[in-house]
Amino acid sequence: MAINVRTMKRPDQKSSYVRASLKGMALTFRHLVNPNKKTLEYPEQKPDLSPRWRGTHVMEQHEDGRPKCVACGLCPTICPANCIRLIPGEDDQGNRYPIVYEIDEFRCIFCGMCQEVCPVEAIHVGQHYENAEYSREGFVYDLDRLMSQKHESTLLWDPSDPAGE
Amino acid sequence: MAPHNAQNDTVTCTIDGLEVTVPAGTRLIEAAARVGIEVPHYCYHPGLSAPAQCRMCLVEMEGAPKLLPACTAQAGDGNVIHTHSEKSLKAREGVLEFLLLNHPLDCPVCDQSGECGLQDYVAEEGRKMGRFVEPKRILGRDDFGGDVLYYGDRCIMCTRCVRFMREVAQDERLTVVQRGHRAVIDTFFDEGLEGSLWAGNVVDVCPVGSLVSKDFLHKARAWDLDRSPSVCPNCSQGCNISIQTFNNQVTRLKPRPNMEVNSHWMCDYGRHNYQWMNRGNRIEAPMVRRDGKLVAVSWSEAMRTLADTLGKGSHAVRAVVSPFLSNEDMGALRRVMETMGGGDGVYRVETGEEAELPGFPTLKLRRDRAANGVGAELFGYRRAGGDDGTGGLDDLAGHDDVLFVAGDEIQDAPTTFGEKAAVFVYLGHALSDATRNADVVLPATSFAEMEGTFTNYERRIQRFLPALQGPGMSRPIWQILGVLLAGISEKAAPATIDDAFDALAEVRDDFGALSFRTIAPRGTVLPGFPALSEAAGR
Repeated sequence: MAINVRTMKRPDQKSSYVRASLKGMALTFRHLVNPNKKTLEYPEQKPDLSPRWRGTHVMEQHEDGRPKCVACGLCPTICPANCIRLIPGEDDQGNRYPIVYEIDEFRCIFCGMCQEVCPVEAIHVGQHYENAEYSREGFVYDLDRLMSQKHESTLLWDPSDPAGE
Repeated sequence: MAPHNAQNDTVTCTIDGLEVTVPAGTRLIEAAARVGIEVPHYCYHPGLSAPAQCRMCLVEMEGAPKLLPACTAQAGDGNVIHTHSEKSLKAREGVLEFLLLNHPLDCPVCDQSGECGLQDYVAEEGRKMGRFVEPKRILGRDDFGGDVLYYGDRCIMCTRCVRFMREVAQDERLTVVQRGHRAVIDTFFDEGLEGSLWAGNVVDVCPVGSLVSKDFLHKARAWDLDRSPSVCPNCSQGCNISIQTFNNQVTRLKPRPNMEVNSHWMCDYGRHNYQWMNRGNRIEAPMVRRDGKLVAVSWSEAMRTLADTLGKGSHAVRAVVSPFLSNEDMGALRRVMETMGGGDGVYRVETGEEAELPGFPTLKLRRDRAANGVGAELFGYRRAGGDDGTGGLDDLAGHDDVLFVAGDEIQDAPTTFGEKAAVFVYLGHALSDATRNADVVLPATSFAEMEGTFTNYERRIQRFLPALQGPGMSRPIWQILGVLLAGISEKAAPATIDDAFDALAEVRDDFGALSFRTIAPRGTVLPGFPALSEAAGR
């Protein structure tokens, strides 16, 4: 059953699409030649991160490859997301060190308090944002993983003046 | 020292604006503690003599020319004392600065961190920044033998440990060697503290992290621990302890002061015998025997099965209880036995050599190495077996009616134990060869996972609170047996530990005078045994 369709009769000036198309193309062309354009060719070009960007963690190490962490337990204590697991122990030289140190990066809220509270400047949040993994378990970073992170650590303060004096 | 009226037994003085009346001869630090004022101190310890050498407890007394050490100065009538006046705060700030000259700032790796006297007082009253720029002395650490490790750098020379060994243990093994900033604590002989039953207490008295326990070293941080007041289960002395746990694991036991039982101390045997509370191989669900096999069932099904079997007619009951059970557990089992027609119960207890703490002679490591042997006697169980806590089960092994085994794992029992029994009920923690013959297996909590009371050697009834979560579906034995009793008789099931304690009056009249809530914090000696409690007096 046919429905009665009424065709509106409008003047040509108002129903033509030529004018609107040209307007859009002009905008596109203007962006093409705009010297101030912001587009980043992402995988090839990386954005500059703020020095205070807080990404996945880095564990600093001594020159002989031992972690700087002394397993004092302040980071799991301060962590608001409860994402750090630490089991302290003693190494063969009588130093306190972490037998187990794990950070669940999924739970982490990247507040950076672990870095702020660390008395020996061992754990840092990093300037890094590409964290894809093939499994969920891969996001629980153990000590080896944290020490092998290559990226820069975050500067929550000026490194030449750590006490803020 | 201020004069006080020798005719009067008490003196009244004013401390920080609060009037306090104390017995004559009371030291200022103790008088201040009575009105809730803590005077910072290191060398003073309530259980030791006070040499007034740390100079930390200096307080100002109006009219006195100089500051007085509150740990030795006695309160006098009409004294007006200011513990936190400008003058005394300044003196204490100076003392703290001197202590920090050589005390390393290694709080992140120090076990005492979080419960450290130096940390607390410096945070409260110390300077914000140190002025000392010269290098600190480095002494390293020394193994004192036994469970004790000494970090020389951290020591502030309060000599509490030396005085503990001299005055309380009366086994002088520690001393101060060298003088001035080179002074360290050291042992006289090569064996150090090895073999001393009371050496663990020097770790408790150390106000800083200088003497630490090897067992607890780097195990947990003080602020992560949950502390539950409890009673040491490892001998019949019943020392008051605090069970300190982390992640539902006992990490250490510490003594709680109770001047009527253990003063401030406990022995190393009790202190280190806690691993069994953390055991992992526990029964987690009730089990009943079906077609020759133990099958896990729900509590309601297990209890219904048991009540249906036991509820009919009268039975001859035999029972084995563990002396680690609480009074409520043992009383509940006795009530079940009496309801079913009565019977004989035994307990076995391991015994060892008695050892006395010379400075506090009523504190002994008692012969019975279990908390509640006396409780078992009170509830009519008979001691069986040998001194090593085994044997004595021969007449029970072949019993042909109802058999209860509560708490005791009977690991030494023959594998045929209880095979002839009509109903063999096991309430306990883990299955051994003998208890695998049980027709009904019910998971019970240990004393660390429940509320209850123990009766110590002098019939002092002391409460303990739960420190751990019981595994799986485990329940306290008094609850299990209370429900069973409700199933086989007209009696009501106990809802709380108060009900379970009140029910003890049915078995023993003398318990009727007490209730769970009214047991004194220091424990209540069971009425009706004056001779015993007097004999045990200090």
